[in-house]
Amino acid sequence: MFEISRKDNGDVELKGRLDASQEGKAREVLDHLSESGTIDFRELQYISSAGLGVLLAAQKRLMGTGHRLRIANMNTHIREIFEMAGFHQIFDLD
Amino acid sequence: MSEKRTFARSIGSLEDIFSFLSEFFQRENLGEGPVFAFNFVVEELFTNMVKYNIGSGGISIEIRRRGAQLLLDLVDEHVDPFDIANAPEKDTSLPVEEREPGGLGLQLVKSMVDKIAYEYRNRTMTISVAKYLEHENV
Repeated sequence: MFEISRKDNGDVELKGRLDASQEGKAREVLDHLSESGTIDFRELQYISSAGLGVLLAAQKRLMGTGHRLRIANMNTHIREIFEMAGFHQIFDLD
Repeated sequence: MSEKRTFARSIGSLEDIFSFLSEFFQRENLGEGPVFAFNFVVEELFTNMVKYNIGSGGISIEIRRRGAQLLLDLVDEHVDPFDIANAPEKDTSLPVEEREPGGLGLQLVKSMVDKIAYEYRNRTMTISVAKYLEHENV
């Protein structure tokens, strides 16, 4: 199960498991972000390289226009993946 | 005890694969750390086979525990060789403007496991992985 939704303030919320079979669903939302904002990982249990790729593409596109994504509330296992991938240098992590 | 099952060559098989792994992890009473890591490792290796191996049959996954080690084999028959050990490395220290999505999964897998081996024989590709469990999971 994976869900992605926009909050009233424009931030994005991810829930469940972002694996390769859910990449398209994540892309539908993240590819349409046009401003800086926060992605809330509080209820995201799992992410694979497919999800990392979607996030990287969104961050690259937004930084090209002077915006930036921040990621909040990630669990320790996802944080380890982010650090191994060098994503802690690409995203602001809370 | 080992578990072995064959899955359709499709990204859509991931849900069934995670269920298969979950049954094994529950029986072995493993903690969150190795469960997360092995879900990640299996997904990356399986999706890599689906994307890059040209074949028509299923892909079999076998997982077993030997003492403090988790052992995993993925077997793909009737395919061309692709040695994951020789896949190009990504530089994870590059700034965002120089990074491109893709190619990261296998690199992360290699850094998450203790041993990974590739064998290609009679048009059958086998990738074998070993990972030692931390003390609290033994």
